[in-house]
Amino acid sequence: MDNQFVINQEGNTLTIVLGDQLTTGNAPALMEELNGYKGKGIEKVVFDATKLAYIASSGIRTIIFAKQKLGGNPVIEFVNCAADIRSVFEMTGLQNYISFVSK
Amino acid sequence: MKELVFKPIAGRTEEIIDAILQTGEVASCTKELYAIHLVCEELVVNVVSYAYPEGVEGYLKIQIEKADGCITLKFIDGGVPFNPLERDMPDVSLPLEERQIGGLGIFLTVQMMDNVSYEHVGNENILTIKKKIDDEK
Repeated sequence: MDNQFVINQEGNTLTIVLGDQLTTGNAPALMEELNGYKGKGIEKVVFDATKLAYIASSGIRTIIFAKQKLGGNPVIEFVNCAADIRSVFEMTGLQNYISFVSK
Repeated sequence: MKELVFKPIAGRTEEIIDAILQTGEVASCTKELYAIHLVCEELVVNVVSYAYPEGVEGYLKIQIEKADGCITLKFIDGGVPFNPLERDMPDVSLPLEERQIGGLGIFLTVQMMDNVSYEHVGNENILTIKKKIDDEK
C-alpha cells in the first residue's frame, strides 16, 4: 500500500503529494517533515490528494498544523479531493478554510 | 457474532485495524466502510497507545455483529477505566487558526456512527459503536 508522501517547495508554495492513505501510521511523519518548513515564509500549502482515498483524524491534525504552525497563516489547497474525504472536512468544519481544486 | 482477540497489542495498530476491516461483516458494508475504517482506527489507536500503563501486556477484544440492518462493534480492553465520551468535544465552529490540534478522533466517532456507548464492567472498558447499513448496491 502506498502510504508515502512527497514534499516539494517552489518559491513560497509547498506542495505535498499524498499517497492513498493519511493515517496514524504516516501522518506524524508528515507533521515532522512540515515542522522543518516552519518560519520559512510559506504562503500556500497544496495537498495533492489525487491518490488519497482515506484520511484519519491524525491526517486532519496535520492540515490544522500546517495552517497554524508554519507561520504566516498560509492558504491551504486540496487538489482532487474525494467525496468521502470532503465530507470528513465538512463534519469538522474545515471546508470553509480549504480551497478545493479539481485538475 | 465474530470475536477478534489481540494480546499483546503494542505496536500492532495497523494489523488490528486491517483484521477488523477484513472480516466479512465489515468488508460487506461497502457504503459505510469509510466511516467504520476511520472510527476503528481512532478507537484502536486509543487503546494501543493509552489504555495500559507502560510495560503492561494489554489485550484488545473486538466483537463484531451484523444483524437487522445494523453493524455493531464492541471494543473491549482491560486497561485503566476511561470513558472517551466524557472528553470535551472540540469546537468545530472556531476558525482554523484557533483550533485545538487534537480531540477530533472521538468527535468524528460520535458524528459518523449512529450510536456510541461506553460501559465499565468487570474491570473492562467496553466501547460499543453501531452503524445502520445500507445493503442496496
